[in-house]
Order: sequence, then structure tokens, then C-alpha cells
Amino acid sequence: MPGPDEPTVIVGIGEFYAGRNPMSSIGLGSCIGLVIYDKDKPLGALAHIMLPDSQGRSERPAKYADTAVKFLVKELNMLGCRSSSLAAKICGGASMFQAFSGNLNIGERNVEAIRFHLKELNIPIIAEDVGGIVGRTIVYNPAENGKVSIKTADGTKKII
Amino acid sequence: MEFSPEQLDALKEFTNIGAAHAATTLSQMLQCNIGMSVPEVNIVDVAQVGTILGEEITTMVLFQLLGDIPEGGFLVLHFSDGAAIRTANIMCGMSGTDRPLGEMDQSALLEVGNIMISSFLGATSDLLGIMMLPSPPFLAIDIAHAIIESLIAQRGLDVDDVIVLQVRLASDDSTISGNILIFLDEPTLRRISQILESLLSPPPIP
Repeated sequence: MPGPDEPTVIVGIGEFYAGRNPMSSIGLGSCIGLVIYDKDKPLGALAHIMLPDSQGRSERPAKYADTAVKFLVKELNMLGCRSSSLAAKICGGASMFQAFSGNLNIGERNVEAIRFHLKELNIPIIAEDVGGIVGRTIVYNPAENGKVSIKTADGTKKII
Repeated sequence: MEFSPEQLDALKEFTNIGAAHAATTLSQMLQCNIGMSVPEVNIVDVAQVGTILGEEITTMVLFQLLGDIPEGGFLVLHFSDGAAIRTANIMCGMSGTDRPLGEMDQSALLEVGNIMISSFLGATSDLLGIMMLPSPPFLAIDIAHAIIESLIAQRGLDVDDVIVLQVRLASDDSTISGNILIFLDEPTLRRISQILESLLSPPPIP
């Protein structure tokens, strides 16, 4: 079990972490912080997903919704988690600049893609904090049973 | 994504000329001297975008690049901590920095950004002989990383490296400071550096 002094792993765009340490993604805009955690063990994973579809690319699997879901599940399986005890939380997917032309609604499409791929693998979504127009910073600590703390730019803090 | 030293120099020169004009217009608007740093061209892995700007809440005025290079990228005017409200105060003839940005402040900042970035693109368009125009400005007050990340994702392009052209601006007493950040896609960067290289290279001997 990690103590409170265990370093927090910062997960940048397209990166992931799976394990026991606290993990965080700073400043999620249209990107998604996908947390998949074990309901029975203090183990979990975080991916910082940028785009909905990998279009067949295999490098940086945590960057795309379709590859990230499968990849995190595989990583957690390797750490000894059973797929049937896994659950997910989704944060992010804001739509920050509706004013610009060529607005592709990436945030919304990311959320939809992740929901679809989680369903495919029968992983329930326990909670989500998605959409809106502001960015979020999230912290997930596997020692705290899947609790994800969220901080937004307007100073709101919440836990899902 | 690789650029030769000559291409990088050309991109620095592009930033230098644009930023010098932008800094001059800001000096005139605020009636104080605004200095600028040597432009930097950084190629950053997309996972490391947090090293450009991080978790701090910032005020930015954002523009899409339009004109001959439609949707080629974004220009960002970033105000350092406290600089946004001080700039708005000078523009609106107000005082006090201990308040959130109101409607008047925001509209003043949009206008400052608009004039600066128009001046940047005006000067660089003249130089390159292509027309580059800013979109209407958009004001974002949010976590810096969230803004930058969304700009990159908004392009819908699957890039692993992000090129950022950056120049810092500061008034002599440092009360007003910030950055101009430019995110252009690779074809646009290549096109700009190519035009500049041919302008800067000596004509062939007949």
C-alpha cells in the first residue's frame, strides 16, 4: 500500500499510468481523463485521451479513445485485476471554443467514443463529470477506492 | 518533425518581425515602453505541453489564422498574472486590481489583443507577400494547459510534436507582461520558412 508520501504521477497528453501511486492529469480541456479502477483492490489506471479514433495507429495507445480503453484494461489485467471487477470514471471533454470555425466538437466525440468502447468491454461507468466549457484538473488515488477529485478554473472542487 | 537550422532561423525572424510590430502597438495603446525577448522556436512532444504553460489560471486572447492559409493554426496573446487586469485598467481608465474581469475589462482585452495580433499579421503578411488575417478574437480565462490542449485537439490533426513560436513581452517596470504564442501546423510552418529563406538568400549569379 502506498503511503501518503507516494509521489503523484503526472499523466500528460496521450500518456497513461497504471499502478498504486496517486495519479493526476493537469488541465483537461477537450481531452478526457479516463480512470479505470479495481473495485476490490487499491489499483487503477489513468489515460489522458486526446482524440476519439486511432485510425489504426498503434503507437501511443493512450492517446485515442478506442485504443486507450482496451489498453488500460490489458495493463490492469497484467497487474492482477480481473476484468469483472473493473469500473470506470470519465472526466473532461469540455467544449472551450465554440466560436471558432471548423469546430469539430472533439470533447463531445471523445466522451461518446469512450462510452462506446467501455460498453463493448462491459465496464460500467460509475460516475462522470464531462462537457461544459471549462477545463479541469483531476487527481485519482487508488488507495481511496476509485475516488476522483476534480478542480476547475472557476475554483469549484468536487469528488466523484 | 524536423526543421533545418536555416528554417528555424526563418521562423524566428518571422516571429521577431511580427512581435516587434505587436509590441509597438501595445506601447502606443498603454503609453509605456514594452520590450520583447528574443523569439524562441520550440518543438515539444505533445505529452510535454504542460512545460509550455501549466496549471495556473490565465487570461488569453485566441485567434485562428485566416486568409491565404485558412485554419493553418492559432495565435495566442497570453497575459501573465495580474497583467490582464492592469492592461484593462489602463485602457478603461480604471484602478484597483482586486476584482474579477468584468464585461468592460474583457472587451478592452479583446480589443488590445485584436489590435496587437492584427499588427503582427499585417507586418508578416507584407513581408511574406501572402495574406494572413486573424479571426475575431476569443477570450479564455481558464487553466493554461486546458486552453492549449484544446487548441491542439481542435485542429483534429493527429500530431505527436507541437511547434510553438514564442516571444515574451514586458513593460519596463514589469507590471505588464505576457507572451505571444503561435501554434501553426507543419505545412504552414514549412511554407512560411520556405518563403522567408528565398527572400533572405542572395539572388543567383546570372
